[in-house]
Amino acid sequence: MTRSALNVGARLSPLGGHRRHLVLIVRLVAGAAIAAFALSTPGFTSPLSINALLNAISFIGCVAVGMTFITITGNIMSLCLGATVSASALIFLASLSVGVPGAFTLAILFGVAVSAAQGMVVGYFRAHPILVSIAALSLLMGGAALATGGQRIYPAGTGLQVFKGRVIGIPVEALYFFATVVIGQFILSWTRIGRVMVMVGSNPRAAIAAGLRTGSAVTIAYVIAGACSALAGVLLASRYSSGDMELGAGYDYSAIAAVLVGGTSIQGGAGSVVRTLVGVLVIAIIEVVLLLRGFSQQLQYLITGVIVLAVIMLHTIRYGR
Amino acid sequence: MRRAAKLLLAPTARPFTIMAGAILVLALMDRGTGYFLTLGTVFSVMQLFGTLGLVALGLGLSMLVREFDLSVAGIVGLAGCIAVMTGAASPWLGVLLGVGAGAASGVLQGLIMTRLQLSSVGVTLGGLLTLQGITYVLSENKTIGYPNVAVALELNAPIAGLVSVRSACALAVFAFAALVMRYTHIGRDVIATGSDRRASRIAGLNTDRVIIGVFAASGACAALAGVLLSYGLGAASPVALADVLAPAAAAAIVGGVSVAGGRGSPTGIAAGVLTLCILRSGLSAIGVEPHVHDLVTGGILAVIAILDAPDLGRRIIAWRLDVAERWQQAVARTR
Repeated sequence: MTRSALNVGARLSPLGGHRRHLVLIVRLVAGAAIAAFALSTPGFTSPLSINALLNAISFIGCVAVGMTFITITGNIMSLCLGATVSASALIFLASLSVGVPGAFTLAILFGVAVSAAQGMVVGYFRAHPILVSIAALSLLMGGAALATGGQRIYPAGTGLQVFKGRVIGIPVEALYFFATVVIGQFILSWTRIGRVMVMVGSNPRAAIAAGLRTGSAVTIAYVIAGACSALAGVLLASRYSSGDMELGAGYDYSAIAAVLVGGTSIQGGAGSVVRTLVGVLVIAIIEVVLLLRGFSQQLQYLITGVIVLAVIMLHTIRYGR
Repeated sequence: MRRAAKLLLAPTARPFTIMAGAILVLALMDRGTGYFLTLGTVFSVMQLFGTLGLVALGLGLSMLVREFDLSVAGIVGLAGCIAVMTGAASPWLGVLLGVGAGAASGVLQGLIMTRLQLSSVGVTLGGLLTLQGITYVLSENKTIGYPNVAVALELNAPIAGLVSVRSACALAVFAFAALVMRYTHIGRDVIATGSDRRASRIAGLNTDRVIIGVFAASGACAALAGVLLSYGLGAASPVALADVLAPAAAAAIVGGVSVAGGRGSPTGIAAGVLTLCILRSGLSAIGVEPHVHDLVTGGILAVIAILDAPDLGRRIIAWRLDVAERWQQAVARTR
């Protein structure tokens, strides 16, 4: 629980201490319950299931790290990150003929460009973030369908192994994800622009009054989200060696679920990338345990939904509105 | 001339002006080949209206009170599944249960929002994921067939070649909503709540009750859309969320509803929905590739989202002052 000096004033409620204890108790109980539930499940600690867990978290995790920045700047979520994942994957696969580094750069640049456009509109003009993301989603889906004719895309070159396999027993995808978490948390906590992002989300009017460049902070938050989504797209494309626009479908919803379960405030201004990592892990562990205990995939969706709803309601205790 | 332009672009008339513009452009693109201006196109426009209209109405109602109901996308799928699973013997029971589930989820989310003072996007996001989860569990992630084929045929049967029973239902709901919003105190209360919630509360309006009512209505509208769609198709399956939310939001915005709240009307939303439907079936009637309408929807949504942005004017003024200042400096330097 790292509470920054910047948002402490804005978030301090009259019942501060007592409510924070309550939240701490809820968290400890929930954490202990999940741990007990997981460890008592036969087969959970086997290397196979740990590997499955690491694989499951890497793709959604990258998107969730990007989503964290959008949520922290007070822009709730983007409904178009899933489409960004798919579209960057397609760009990566289609441009593999220029070599892996070139294709990787192109895919990331594409994700950055798509998100930067949205970030500028949201940041500089304060357009409604959900509407802007829905518009971008429509444009991406239509554009991709026109460009590919609805066909699957297969790699136009070789060299996908860079994004597959394992290093010292850990899947490469997970390493990329952990690197994203470290870089993301570094930007948020130790750079000036990261602090401005938190400030904008916490109290946008105060941030403008203080003369901060709120527009550029929001734009950069979106740029980071786009880059993270494009990375997820590249990893997914390498994993499956082909792709279409369904590749990243639903990743935006899973990502925002992880962000909120981790404890980043939906009102913006409070949260961290490490919390998102925790959120991703909690959801993935619950899913793996349900799977090992023989529950259906459908039930996992329902339980994730209920947890997200419960966590959003718990935010009221925390911030005492 | 200027007065006519002013009249056409007035907030209440703008949706209809845009609709007329869309028809004109498509008729010109058609260039007299006669594929666009036919009764068949009218029928297919109205079929699309029957699917999309009620979702847009639900979402638009929530935007009128300055909220955003993401959960409509989940309710469409859930209500369809419930209706198909329970309505095999008596279709009315399916309608009742499906619409009831939609209204109940709206009330529940409204209660959570008003009691805990939470933002609607957060609560309805949780609601959306939960509703979708329930749909997956109920349908076991499969398409459920509806055995009562007679109902499907009857719903899609044309009346006078223009509308089907399904789209007539949607039109009737729109007419009812328009009458309520225009002639009862409910409409006035909704607009007041959306314009300035604090002032309405001080004036003695129970805004919490208005919010809960609006979300119940929004849930019921979306549910009815889902029920009619599933009955008409003779099948229900968990829907792709993006397919519903993007056109519904675009329709509401084109229909003159503002995300800032307090502006818009059911008739405007109807015009917005019709515009999108006309573009969609018109474009396919004159042989444009089917995915272009996604681009058109997204483009319209993007343009209006930017035009409606609160800081756009301020930024443009600041930029122009900046340019003027630099120009003067440059002039001074050359002297």
